[in-house]
Amino acid sequence: MHIVVCMKQVPRDNSVKLNADLSINADGIEKIINLFDEYAVEEGIAWNEKHGGKLTVLSMGNADWTEQIRRALAMGATDSLLLSDPAFTNTDTLGAARAVAAAIRKLGDVDLVITGRNSTDDESGAFAPALARHLGWPQITYVGKIQDVDPAAKSITAERNLETVVETVQSPLPAVVSVIKDINSPRYPSLLKIKRVAKIEPPVWSAADLGLSAADLAPAAALSARVPAPARPSGEMITGADAAAKVTALVNKLLENQVI
Amino acid sequence: MAGVLVCVEQVGGKIAAITRELLGKGRALADALGGPLAAAVVGSEAGDLANQAVALGADTVYVVTDAALATYTTDGYVAAAKAIAAQAQPALVLAGASFQMRDFGAALAADLNAGLAADATDITVAGGQISAVRPSHGGNVINTLTFAAGRPAVVLARKQSFPEATEQAGRSGSIQNVAMPATSVRTKVVSVAPKSGAVNLADASVIVSGGRGLGNKDNYFKLIPPLAAALGAAYGASRAVVDDGWVPYEHQVGQTGKTVSPKLYVACGISGAIQHLAGMRTSRSIVAINKDPDAPIFRVATYGLVGDVNEVLPLLTEQLKARLGR
Ligand SMILES: Cc1cc2nc3c(=O)[nH]c(=O)nc-3n(C[C@H](O)[C@H](O)[C@H](O)COP(=O)(O)OP(=O)(O)OC[C@H]3O[C@@H](n4cnc5c(N)ncnc54)[C@H](O)[C@@H]3O)c2cc1C
Ligand SMILES: Nc1ncnc2c1ncn2[C@@H]1O[C@H](COP(=O)(O)O)[C@@H](O)[C@H]1O
Repeated sequence: MHIVVCMKQVPRDNSVKLNADLSINADGIEKIINLFDEYAVEEGIAWNEKHGGKLTVLSMGNADWTEQIRRALAMGATDSLLLSDPAFTNTDTLGAARAVAAAIRKLGDVDLVITGRNSTDDESGAFAPALARHLGWPQITYVGKIQDVDPAAKSITAERNLETVVETVQSPLPAVVSVIKDINSPRYPSLLKIKRVAKIEPPVWSAADLGLSAADLAPAAALSARVPAPARPSGEMITGADAAAKVTALVNKLLENQVI
Repeated sequence: MAGVLVCVEQVGGKIAAITRELLGKGRALADALGGPLAAAVVGSEAGDLANQAVALGADTVYVVTDAALATYTTDGYVAAAKAIAAQAQPALVLAGASFQMRDFGAALAADLNAGLAADATDITVAGGQISAVRPSHGGNVINTLTFAAGRPAVVLARKQSFPEATEQAGRSGSIQNVAMPATSVRTKVVSVAPKSGAVNLADASVIVSGGRGLGNKDNYFKLIPPLAAALGAAYGASRAVVDDGWVPYEHQVGQTGKTVSPKLYVACGISGAIQHLAGMRTSRSIVAINKDPDAPIFRVATYGLVGDVNEVLPLLTEQLKARLGR
């Protein structure tokens, strides 16, 4: 079977700066595989090892976003694909999902797409549902366990880990699945494997390769303002001669200010 | 396109708190847009929800009931919502930002070719233009998205962002049944199991969280749940203690756990790493208890108390019990 894992490269930490044009400046911050996507890659590899076929790691991003694709290849992905075009720069999550859907249709033989729960930079969590709708495929989101993938019966059974319940859902394939952090323990690639993939350049597809126009990628919601999170109004330190005095002072404050 | 459509969520036959918030905010936004406030009730049965939505401010309630809607499926609920949107023609669709509603809202936005703001903390209308505010990058960046005219906007709002609408007895509105369109629901919900001891941190108005400063799992359970009980609170944790297996992942607050915005968040023995702050910095009041006066958590604290959790927490629990009577 052919599994595609959607993987985004993100800054390791979010102490980002803003450029004058409101874009994010993460220069000098190390780029990593989006935390949840590491789990998606691991899950894809595990089912690929079980059923054989292809595991393509697919990323949409800058032309130089190859390092983390190589890391996924070193972990065990068999193929890679990078969607890169200046035309993609200003699109939103829904536009990204439209472009990735076009790429998956072009690949043609995909049975299962695995994504992360959300990206740790944009944090929309909208990509997997939007991708599924653009493909016309069913979706199973927030998956904490894939019980079974059956390529012969073309079906998948997975547990959705929601706030207060676990929902077990069965779906026909092809389908889109998004995974959460608890699903597995991502492997570390061996040095040998890292060396072996060090020179691989992923194929790059542009908007034109995907038959996408500027209108297809125009965001329906445009960024009109962006500011660093305002600092919280400065609070106060509770003082007192000893712990008991501090606790009394704290409880007094909480009651006075109707916090409790 | 005119007005606002609120997707109704319910808890035990009653309109959920998040929907009350959205009906309150939606009323003001609909007035600013010069259109009606509509509500969408979708399920296997509607019970009294439509009347409740009218009392909470809806002008029109669209109801789709069908046996196929007994449990949530993306196919079923999006089909029902699209049938309602086709009649209501809203400029703005509002829903909560729970996991289920994100599954739903993003799919609906894709199908309607709408703009989407997920996990919004504010929504405004100015000169007919709709904007939503949403944090990203672990809460470090606050974005304002302005929706393109002529396309609907879908906004999924973070809980406890708006005051809840209050019921107005005797308010009247129109209730319209909408037929469930023919839909193939491809996914099958095999079972729904409540999580044992699950807490819905996002619903809690007070949260007490413990971090590595508690020392070990036994100490966490000796100190945190009693304090939580005294405050009527749910209890949460930092990733450090979740990773060490003290408490399950459901309790994790932060960028890779839950994002919460309670009235009061009490952080005990938590350093305040940016990934933790990402999940709780929008709480209305924050109490931090940490033995290190330089701990970053104090920078976001409304009330900071420098002290040893082993000494402070039992005293605090006792005083709260005595003075709040819980
Ligand atoms: C990609 C990524 C995602 C992450 N996501 C999350 C997330 O979702 N949530 C999250 O919480 N973290 C997250 N982290 C981890 C985060 O960076 C911190 O490591 C973690 O929050 C630290 O937990 P802590 O504050 O409990 O422990 P520590 O950092 O070890 O802090 C313990 C604190 O307790 C205090 N202390 C010690 N003893 C006492 C005592 N007796 N009395 C009082 N105070 C005491 C210390 O002064 C210290 O400040 C993430 C990290 C990464 C890289
Ligand atoms: N640019 C991208 N390239 C590949 N996958 C992506 C991209 N953006 C988002 N995804 C996938 O969609 C998931 C959810 O992202 P988001 O909707 O941005 O929170 C991520 O965990 C990835 O699996």
